[in-house]
Amino acid sequence: MAQETNEKAAATPVTMVTLTIDGQSVTVPKGKTVLEAARSVGIDIPTFCHHPKLKSVGSCRICYVEIEKMPKLQVSCATEAMDGMVVSTNSDQVKQGRRAVIEFILLNHPLDCPTCDKGGECDLQNLTFAHGTDDSRNDFQKTRFREDDMSTTFDDKSIGPEIVLNRNRCILCYKCVRSNKDAFGEYDLGVYERGNIAQIDSAPGEQVDNPFSGNLVEICPVGALTNRDWRYKIRVWLTETTPSVDNFQSSGSNITFSKERQKNKIYRVTSRPNDDIDDGWLPDITRYGYQIVNSPDRLKKPLIKKGGTQVEVSWDEALDTIAKRLANIKDSKGSVCIGGLAAPSLDNRSLYGFSKFFRKVLHSNNVDYRSDCRMLPSSSDTICSRLAMQPFSISDLDDSDVIVVFGSDLIREHHNEYLRMRKAFNFNGARLFSITPYAVKAADIAELEVVHRPGKEEFVLQAVCQAAVEDRLVDDQTAGRFREQVGNVDLTELCRSAGISTDSVKQIARALASGKKISFVVGEIVTRSREREPIAAAICNLNKLFGLHDKGQVAILARYANSKGAQKLGVVPVPHKMLVDKMNVLWSETPSCEAHNTDAMLALLKKEEIDSLFVLGANPMMVYPDLQFAREGLERADFLVACDLFETETTQLADVVLPLCSWAEYDGDYVNLEGRNQTARAAIKPIGESRTGFDIMAALAARFEASDLFEVDAIESEISQMLAIADTPALPQEYTQVRASEDKEKDGFDIPLYLCDDPHHSGHLTEKSPSLAEFSGEAYAEISFDLANRLKLRNGESVRVESPVGKIIIPVKISEILNTDVVLLPRNFSSTPTTALMMRKRRVDMVKLSKVDD
Amino acid sequence: MILTEESIQKIKEKAARYPHRKSAILPALTVAYRQVGHLNDEIYREIGRVINIPPVEIAEAATFYTMFPKKPVGKYLLQVCHNLSCALVGADSMITYLEDKLGIKKGETTDDGLFTLISVECLGSCATAPMIQINHDFHENLTREKLDKLLEELRAKA
Ligand code: SF4
Ligand code: FES
Ligand code: FES
Repeated sequence: MAQETNEKAAATPVTMVTLTIDGQSVTVPKGKTVLEAARSVGIDIPTFCHHPKLKSVGSCRICYVEIEKMPKLQVSCATEAMDGMVVSTNSDQVKQGRRAVIEFILLNHPLDCPTCDKGGECDLQNLTFAHGTDDSRNDFQKTRFREDDMSTTFDDKSIGPEIVLNRNRCILCYKCVRSNKDAFGEYDLGVYERGNIAQIDSAPGEQVDNPFSGNLVEICPVGALTNRDWRYKIRVWLTETTPSVDNFQSSGSNITFSKERQKNKIYRVTSRPNDDIDDGWLPDITRYGYQIVNSPDRLKKPLIKKGGTQVEVSWDEALDTIAKRLANIKDSKGSVCIGGLAAPSLDNRSLYGFSKFFRKVLHSNNVDYRSDCRMLPSSSDTICSRLAMQPFSISDLDDSDVIVVFGSDLIREHHNEYLRMRKAFNFNGARLFSITPYAVKAADIAELEVVHRPGKEEFVLQAVCQAAVEDRLVDDQTAGRFREQVGNVDLTELCRSAGISTDSVKQIARALASGKKISFVVGEIVTRSREREPIAAAICNLNKLFGLHDKGQVAILARYANSKGAQKLGVVPVPHKMLVDKMNVLWSETPSCEAHNTDAMLALLKKEEIDSLFVLGANPMMVYPDLQFAREGLERADFLVACDLFETETTQLADVVLPLCSWAEYDGDYVNLEGRNQTARAAIKPIGESRTGFDIMAALAARFEASDLFEVDAIESEISQMLAIADTPALPQEYTQVRASEDKEKDGFDIPLYLCDDPHHSGHLTEKSPSLAEFSGEAYAEISFDLANRLKLRNGESVRVESPVGKIIIPVKISEILNTDVVLLPRNFSSTPTTALMMRKRRVDMVKLSKVDD
Repeated sequence: MILTEESIQKIKEKAARYPHRKSAILPALTVAYRQVGHLNDEIYREIGRVINIPPVEIAEAATFYTMFPKKPVGKYLLQVCHNLSCALVGADSMITYLEDKLGIKKGETTDDGLFTLISVECLGSCATAPMIQINHDFHENLTREKLDKLLEELRAKA
């Protein structure tokens, strides 16, 4: 399906150079290397240490070329292409040079291809066949790494939960260390010693367990770095591949599944580089998340609760029961008494089918895809939702000179954007600003990190505006208008309440005023906040004051693989008017009854005004930020249906449970956070009797005699018409008054709590991936060194976290990043229901911490 | 903490002299080595904290230089050059001679804790090969007799 392309205006004019390579004339922009020039016309030069997304180091020498007037061979990956150069990539001298390099690299190499997992896809193996000689002149004993047994070539050194290193095979291209440091900003891997015994290893006393570590294995040109996920399981030539798209992240990294031909089993995920999205890097969530697909815990058959226990039944029985019960409720109490929650990681067809089933078949508007937000506004046409529909482009981060990350802990929410931001900094010197209520990892390269008092987002934004007006950073007319409409606020007072310095807001104001291309990105801390609307209004004021939209992008980063699709297909109670208009055209009518969002549905379930909830892939019992409230709602439901891959806290309560397919089992389209519609192809057949969300909705519709509404071709065309609605709703034309309300203080609860994912998890299903579970271990509470000291807690000791509504005991992890009093809890661990501490009406949850003495 | 307050102060002073913090790695390692007599992972982490550089970068630099011992060594560190020029004029036999005389293998320390014997890469004294560096001093144009004398002097001093 169509991939939208981003048309970017060419920036500064580029000078071109023309050279001759193997007799062919090549023209490339100045600054490109000879290697890049050659590859641009399809001439391949072998490489080991070169990586298109890293700076060249020229360490392996395999990319030798001959250049006229240069006495010696040159490394093409580190030689800039110059006008008039005459290059030969295949002369006798070059061939001889390559042969010598291979001989040199093989000096200490164990040549253990038959037992090496890289065999069949190893650059060294291939290049040795292509360019090497078939014997060795080396008479010496080879250097061996293996202190305990020098006779073996094995050197299985575990350097992380997933990665095993064989130093004998390493050719010291340094790609692993370079990408780790330069692209990911991680320092858990290094190269030690020199000469014969130079070697890669983890950092002193550390493990290679950063959230991008899987990439190191993929880019190692030989079998020195392998992962437990893949090693010794299968040979690469026995696998076949399927192009797909990641399902754990909103950017939709492009991936490749490898499966064994005969078996219905996926063996690994590797990257399928797409420079617009992922640059070829995959976060570990994406790489190892696939393991959930073949998990033994998958639900394989429908279940119906009979006499208190869920028993396996046939699809027909399950579907008949659901249809009968829903029809009953609809007829006796009215369709408004049925609600539905869908997961934002499902494909377009499932989501659209879900919404259509509710609206057209059941005549209910109670649909929502947001189960992890509290206190959602009842209208969908709010400032925040309009802000969420503004365009965003990942690759536009590359050349932004000012990037402001507002209310997002990028490394936990948006791995690709995190890497892009580092790239912008490393390659273009972008200036980064981070504004969050607790210190975040991404800020290590920021020019300024502003950590404000929790729950004071809008104050910071207002302060930046005020600073710009006071310091005359915007023209007088703009400033005048702002003053007129917003009034004068006291900058010092704003900064004092937000707990930040006036200097810092002035610095941000100056950067926003002087930046040429600005990316202002907003994260989950805002979208999940009760006060998302006033904060969004403050962002819009800032946008208008500095003219940010004209100088780049202001966007809310959507989370999850298909939130954007859910948004565009209108899977909310009251979709934006332009979507409703389209639905009316497509369906001839939409129901006009009352519409309830997640919060309202849960509240009405509790009041027994909604009788039934249909949950498609979502798990409100894990992610809704007030477990008590979610539980009270779901437990009162007369009839609860839950479809999922696994048994979850939600399916446990259900009257009927239906097994869902994972995204690897059917062709599906997903809209990434940029609005790019991408296709993930089926790699394997459905596991057990599981079915897709769409098939379930269509099968139910058939029982309501509405099959005609679910014909696949028609549905596809409707979806593309919905997605084609290109208008972005306008942001407010005028400045708005920002009014947020404060929480009432609760005595004794003095530490703010934030729910955020472990960087190796994405909220829901990833717990079922053994590799990811291994990375993160158990649930833990992250606190600052200082707070741990005051509580006399050491790493790993248990802490009691108490809120007015709940209490959990959990090990602490002393963070190297946090520097204020705050506690971060993950929400991915079913063993530790952290949402039990939260209260839906609060803006910031407050808890108290105490040491558990045992 | 392994580093003394005095060493930390010295490291900070040195770090202040360079435009880039990374340039302070070797001077900092030298300070630590002079204080402790060897280097280890804990020291890399401590230095990392003082000059605000990831410990891995400190460890990389430290291990690159064979001149820094990475575990406790005897009072006198005997560093025989085994590189080309020295090897051509008998470095190997100097090493064997010392091994036999001290009753230890390369890499080991004598029971009295006086001598540790190691061999190292070229120390830039090729013209006067074979050579040995003992702690911070060079001794050149080595012969067995010279070594006997050296060891005797050191024992006497100890
Ligand atoms: S481990 Fe692999 S990627 Fe790293 S330096 Fe060795 S060969 Fe290169
Ligand atoms: S690829 Fe050019 S030197 Fe390694
Ligand atoms: S080879 Fe021994 S000092 Fe140079």
